Amino acid sequence: MKMNNKKQNSKGNFFTRKQFELLIVCITTGFIIGYSYNQAKDNRQTSAIKSELFEQEDSYREELIEQQERNKELTEEANMLQEKIRHYEKKFASNEKDSKKLVQEAEDLRLLLGDLNSEGKGIRITLQDGDYDPKSANPNDYIVHESHVFKLLNELKISGAQAIAINGQRVMANSYIRCNGPVITIDGKQHPAPFVIEAIGDSGTLRASLNLSGGVVDQLLNDNIVVSLEENQKLMMPNVKIES
Amino acid sequence: MWLPFLGLVLGLALGLLTNIQIPSIYENYLSIAVLAALDTLFGGIRAQLQHVYDDKVFVSGFFFNIVLAAGLAFLGVNLGVDLYLAAIFAFGVRLFQNIAIIRRILLTRLDEKRHNKKKTSIE
Repeated sequence: MKMNNKKQNSKGNFFTRKQFELLIVCITTGFIIGYSYNQAKDNRQTSAIKSELFEQEDSYREELIEQQERNKELTEEANMLQEKIRHYEKKFASNEKDSKKLVQEAEDLRLLLGDLNSEGKGIRITLQDGDYDPKSANPNDYIVHESHVFKLLNELKISGAQAIAINGQRVMANSYIRCNGPVITIDGKQHPAPFVIEAIGDSGTLRASLNLSGGVVDQLLNDNIVVSLEENQKLMMPNVKIES
Repeated sequence: MWLPFLGLVLGLALGLLTNIQIPSIYENYLSIAVLAALDTLFGGIRAQLQHVYDDKVFVSGFFFNIVLAAGLAFLGVNLGVDLYLAAIFAFGVRLFQNIAIIRRILLTRLDEKRHNKKKTSIE
């Protein structure tokens, strides 16, 4: 009150209390209006940016789908060409009996590489974690490790398996297997236990070689792993797909 | 007379220059505050024109209305009822009424002026 009076005195009738109050009210109103305008503007801008990002994402996704489709087409083409080559080779073999052996070898190698769909008699081995009491036992002693899978694969290859798949994924000559805690990673794809290992080949030989006393199955059983063997008349294995 | 406009411009500039982000939940409060401020402002102009202006009523009404509207909105948010609609409705109706009254008063004054001019010219 005093301050206002002073102002009134110094400036005369120019700056009254009433005008001072009016000024404050006007400043507040202006501030609120300006502030909300700013706020609304920011909102508009952010929503515009958002929609732009969405559009970009959409276009990228479409591009990706296009690329994947193209990949698929190319894979199909490659398969077709492979088939053609096989056809030529067979024709060649019928002409020249000497090279029949070579063709057979090429076929075997192709199966091993996983370039072809494989189908035939074989053996199916299932590896399962042993039952254990997690309180009293170390779970590491009971679960299937990649070393067990290695042993089995090695034995299968030695005994003449033409094609091998783990949980439906073909294992090639250059495949890698990695232990990853409770799962194993095969060429970047994770597989949990139980592991179903399918091998195409002479099932009698395969079974006999696995069941050698002191052989792979014995070792696995010794490591508390539940192993089941099963001979199969007709196993189907897909060819290796290069995932995009 | 120029002082309120200067204040308005100053406030606008301040509001445009402040770059504080408030959460979107409180945007309701802001809209109500805008309405309350505008309502009180036009109410003041109307009162001035009707010669019943009282600065105490004006200033207290300005701040009290804003606080009341914000409080109502706050209550509404907490209760899950859109109570701020009541504030928007009340202020909106009053805003239109005030502006209508201001317009009528100004129109009658204009008419009177013309009438006086005619009278003077005739005389």
